[in-house]
Amino acid sequence: MSEKGNGKLPRIGVYICHCGLNIANVVDVEAVAEFAGKLPGVVVAKAYKYMCSDPGLEMIKADIKEQNLERVVVASCSPLLHEQTFRRAIQEGGILNPYLYTHVNIREHVSWVHASEPAKATEKAKALVAAAVRRVSAHKPLERKRVDVNPDVLVLGGGIAGIQASLVLADSGKKVYLVEREPSIGGHMAKFDKTFPTLDCAACILTPKMAQVGNHPNIELLTYSELKEIEGYVGNFKAKVLKKSRHLYLEKCTACGECAKVCPVEIPSAFDENLAKRKATYRPFPQAVPNKFVIERLGYPPCQAACPIHQNAYGYMMMVKEGKFAEALEVVLRDNPLPSLCGWVCTHPCTDTCTRGKVDAPLNMPGIKRFIADHAGDFALPMPKDFKENGKKVAVIGGGPAGLTAAYELRKRGYQVTIYEAAGTLGGMPAITIPDYRLPKDVLKKDTDRIAATGIEVRLNTALGKDVSLSEITKQYSAVFIAVGASKNRRLGVPGEDNSWVLPGLEFLGRVNSGERPNLGRRVVVIGGGLVAVDAARTAVRLGANVTLVCIESWEEMFARRTSEGQKEVEQMKAEGVEVLTRWGPKEFKSGGIELKSVIRVFDESGRFSPQYDETKTRFLECDTAIVAIGQAPDSDLFKSQGLSVTSWGGLDVDPVTLQTNIENVFAGGDVLGPDVVVTAMMAGKKAAESIDRFLNGRDLYEGRELEGPFEGVARPMDLERVERKPAIRMPEREPSVRIKDFADVHSTYSPEDAQKEASRCLMCSICCDCQLCKPACPVEGCIDYSIPDEEIELNVGAVVVATGFKIFDPKRIPSYGYGKYPEVYTSLEIERLVNSSGPTEGKLVMKNGQPPKSVAIVHCVGSRDKNYNEYCSRVCCMYSLKLAHLVHERTGAEVYNFYIDMRTPGKGYEEFYHKLLDEGIHFIRGRVAEITDWAIEPSEKGKLVVRVEDTMAGMVRRIPVDMVILSVGLEPQPDAQDIRRLLKLSCSSEGFFLERHPKLAPVSTVTAGIYIAGACQGPKDIPDTVAQAGAAAGEVLAMVDRGYIELEPIKAHIDAEDCSGCKMCNGLCPYDAITYDKERKVSEINEVLCEGCGTCVAACPSGAIDQDLFENQELLYEIEGVLKYV
Amino acid sequence: MYEPKIVAFFCNWCTYTGADLAGVSRMQYAPNVRIIRVMCSGRVDPELVMKAFAEGADGVLIGGCHPGDCHYQSGNHKTFRRYKFLKAILPQYGLDPERLHLEWISASEGDKVRDTVNSFTEKIRNLGPSTVRETLNALRTEEVSHG
Repeated sequence: MSEKGNGKLPRIGVYICHCGLNIANVVDVEAVAEFAGKLPGVVVAKAYKYMCSDPGLEMIKADIKEQNLERVVVASCSPLLHEQTFRRAIQEGGILNPYLYTHVNIREHVSWVHASEPAKATEKAKALVAAAVRRVSAHKPLERKRVDVNPDVLVLGGGIAGIQASLVLADSGKKVYLVEREPSIGGHMAKFDKTFPTLDCAACILTPKMAQVGNHPNIELLTYSELKEIEGYVGNFKAKVLKKSRHLYLEKCTACGECAKVCPVEIPSAFDENLAKRKATYRPFPQAVPNKFVIERLGYPPCQAACPIHQNAYGYMMMVKEGKFAEALEVVLRDNPLPSLCGWVCTHPCTDTCTRGKVDAPLNMPGIKRFIADHAGDFALPMPKDFKENGKKVAVIGGGPAGLTAAYELRKRGYQVTIYEAAGTLGGMPAITIPDYRLPKDVLKKDTDRIAATGIEVRLNTALGKDVSLSEITKQYSAVFIAVGASKNRRLGVPGEDNSWVLPGLEFLGRVNSGERPNLGRRVVVIGGGLVAVDAARTAVRLGANVTLVCIESWEEMFARRTSEGQKEVEQMKAEGVEVLTRWGPKEFKSGGIELKSVIRVFDESGRFSPQYDETKTRFLECDTAIVAIGQAPDSDLFKSQGLSVTSWGGLDVDPVTLQTNIENVFAGGDVLGPDVVVTAMMAGKKAAESIDRFLNGRDLYEGRELEGPFEGVARPMDLERVERKPAIRMPEREPSVRIKDFADVHSTYSPEDAQKEASRCLMCSICCDCQLCKPACPVEGCIDYSIPDEEIELNVGAVVVATGFKIFDPKRIPSYGYGKYPEVYTSLEIERLVNSSGPTEGKLVMKNGQPPKSVAIVHCVGSRDKNYNEYCSRVCCMYSLKLAHLVHERTGAEVYNFYIDMRTPGKGYEEFYHKLLDEGIHFIRGRVAEITDWAIEPSEKGKLVVRVEDTMAGMVRRIPVDMVILSVGLEPQPDAQDIRRLLKLSCSSEGFFLERHPKLAPVSTVTAGIYIAGACQGPKDIPDTVAQAGAAAGEVLAMVDRGYIELEPIKAHIDAEDCSGCKMCNGLCPYDAITYDKERKVSEINEVLCEGCGTCVAACPSGAIDQDLFENQELLYEIEGVLKYV
Repeated sequence: MYEPKIVAFFCNWCTYTGADLAGVSRMQYAPNVRIIRVMCSGRVDPELVMKAFAEGADGVLIGGCHPGDCHYQSGNHKTFRRYKFLKAILPQYGLDPERLHLEWISASEGDKVRDTVNSFTEKIRNLGPSTVRETLNALRTEEVSHG
């Protein structure tokens, strides 16, 4: 054996393969051999026709013995193909360690890619051989490490491939985990009616197999589950699988279907290719395995997520749609103790995010909620009374929306709550200032009465700081919530503001609201652009005045117009005759009117409110009364007097998450932090109740509160372009000329029919609407449980079979075929459902008008064999088109035209099936269809779809009118195939199908040992091929698992403790955490079992202490030297 | 015509397999690149790159999996950092940093192997032969004479 530096080289044998003519045709193999023979250390150099054949291998073995070879180099094909073959051979020779060998790739990397440059190819081959010869001299004998194999197997995908593989493995006694993301196994095959060419029914051959899987003691079926992570290596994988919650207990569900009967949600059924509807509570098809239901919840829909208090708008919408008005109120009350108030005045951020808004107009959620609240008196109101009293006392100061909400939420949690209210009535700012036409007093009273009736003590006319102090209250109560609002009018600070004819807005609204009808004179100017200003203007109109509203904002910037509800208010105000003057601000109140100055800007570059005026540009506006409504401010003096800290601009200083003040057990929210809308105040009430509850129970105040307040909701995938347009149903609105004469309501509420109609416009974004009707409907006690969370489980397996299947080509990508545009253009999979006796039409093939078609076109190769889409042939389309042609003809007697490019019917009985169809009188027209159109030229084409095609047999362009078109769509990789590829470290072909290790010799193995592929995830294939491949994959798994061990390539990294400086540079680099630092010896160490052999640490070690077996520094340096030195 | 010598370090899982695919697909490309297989591009020690230049390579090409696709999770990220580092130090040895190139090529991108090899070869051809070897030899001789 040679060692570096002693000059003695090992005896090396070099073998150059002709590979028939594959290599020899380009590379001068004899010249390479001759060249190799002259390289240092080489004692034998030969070229031979097929090195990998038995004579070739025997030749090497013989040479090893006769010539005492110590090293072997073979130059042939890719090492990924035959490296192992030669290693085995030299080992079988009985003398050499298999790693005293180097493989040179002169086929894939030389002869095949430099076919036209033989001289240069030969030169390159020589260089590569020289490098290998140089490299191999440094090789050391290595031992493969044996590792036990876990015999359990993970199968991904429950289509026919996964089913077959699982059954083979389970029957042989292996434990199988079958993971399927849908609620049932069955895959695409479960959707088919008949199978070609035998025409036996798919269900008849599939469902027994599905049942077998469901009942097999060795198969653990994990449906509605997805692989999330996998780590480890062949024989010892650790997989994390996410079991999505079905929101019911699988073992309790009897599949009686009572839950689905009451479910109000109806969305397109993916199993029926969207041709039928299904409920949110469903099973995909009656023979599902497991035969269990699932309640599909995606989370909060956009409307609910956008709502600061997460009012379940979707839920009450569904209840109204169903005419279940009492249940609707129950849904509203779950999140919202003030349904009437919100129904009338909430700004409804929900409508701004409504998905329907992207289609035509958002749902009128305020109108529906108002409808529910207006009818609340008609129902026996559910009153939550059974509180578990906890004996703790909490005070709420302020009886407005924030205070009322907090009081109610705390009461629900069992606290004894006392509300201190300064005014003589509950309701806060809305009660005092919102005019009757927008919020009648009795409406709000319904809410406040109901809240008070839950056993909350109410102390009216008790003002903080006047009648009672904070310190007195904190003595009596465990915690306090301050929500006294912002009652101070903001002042303009311009001369003349104190004139008697200049009224503060809130004060004015309060006076009118308490029944006063002040005489404002003929001309009134309202100053301000917010909702209070709008209220003041419209109130002044109702008092008989001509009103102009002046605001500094532009029309687009106007504060009141920031929500769609506010925009409605402003429109109504204008309709009532109020003139709006934008971009003017008051300069001085003079006798007889106001001098206004022009506005340059309202907001600065960073969007902050910072108005600037042009004092020189003024105008004078005559008026008898001016009302200033430029906003409200919290009473900071009051807060300071009670020992509370205040922010620089006067609001209470609280923690934004917990609403805690500087006093530990005092919390505050609502307008005391700055004026905002009702629903924001209610959110503060909810947050405070949560904080107080946590505080009094000693729990963390911050943890898990990220989703409080608005966020972005989820909507199921929808093709909004294809959503049916449904115009909004408007609430009856009184004529402006009539309504300005009194303070009565502007709208009248929806009729029940209109409310139902409007509610049925809902697009049901998040599937389950959380109405909770199914729980009482379920006859099994404790089966449905909405709180069951998703679960992550860990599986230890030795091998993985990937059988994740395919998706069909989306024909909308070919606009000229009119899919999605013409209702009578279908995909082949849709037709499978239509001809299926358990499909949406129970097997009757009819058009959308209910009539059977008289003529049907079947267009082949849609999305296949087309450079614009997929270049490959999808293999199954010709045959399933023939099958569909047969079924359509048989069921309807229609004339059926097949438009094909080439008929591809290789397979047992396939060609015969084709001939059978020719005999049946099916028409075959050879040519790619150019266009499908409804543009009739001939009278016979009227009302039909015309297929325009060049008939290449007849040599002419033809127009064939038909009633129905079936697009034979091709097969594509699953949309998330790339995620699976990354997860499992697979490779993909350029089309995106998983790549087998060798197209011919290892068709179910992958580049990652222990992971196998089966079915259409590897490439388009029919059922027989899929089943065969699944069996093959199972066989490969068994071969590996049954041996009980695997041998790992000796490519591990190792640290020479002598050289290690203990710098720890390598520790953080290892992706497998295989390197640890030994504190005592002050060196790093590599755990051989964890090391995967990437060599990243080797490249990083500054002291060169790390090396990698088979990729040693010396070996690579020699290889570099060799590749450059000799040629 | 001047034929540059280029050493390529290709990772076993993506780029080497991609080069195999180019072969199987009979794509034709310049014969100037000599491929050395490593398990991961993360194994490419800067020392190996410098060795290649010192032994007379006119260019060095490194091929690894696309970011996020590394068979060893993140080896290619480390390669990228080392590549940046090497680019910065090459001029100190009188080497144009353009002589070193890194490309992410997956197992399905045989065409990208072809295109990368062709364009890199063309680029090196335009840069002309590397003189680093002579410089180093001269330095060595100097050392000896001073020694």
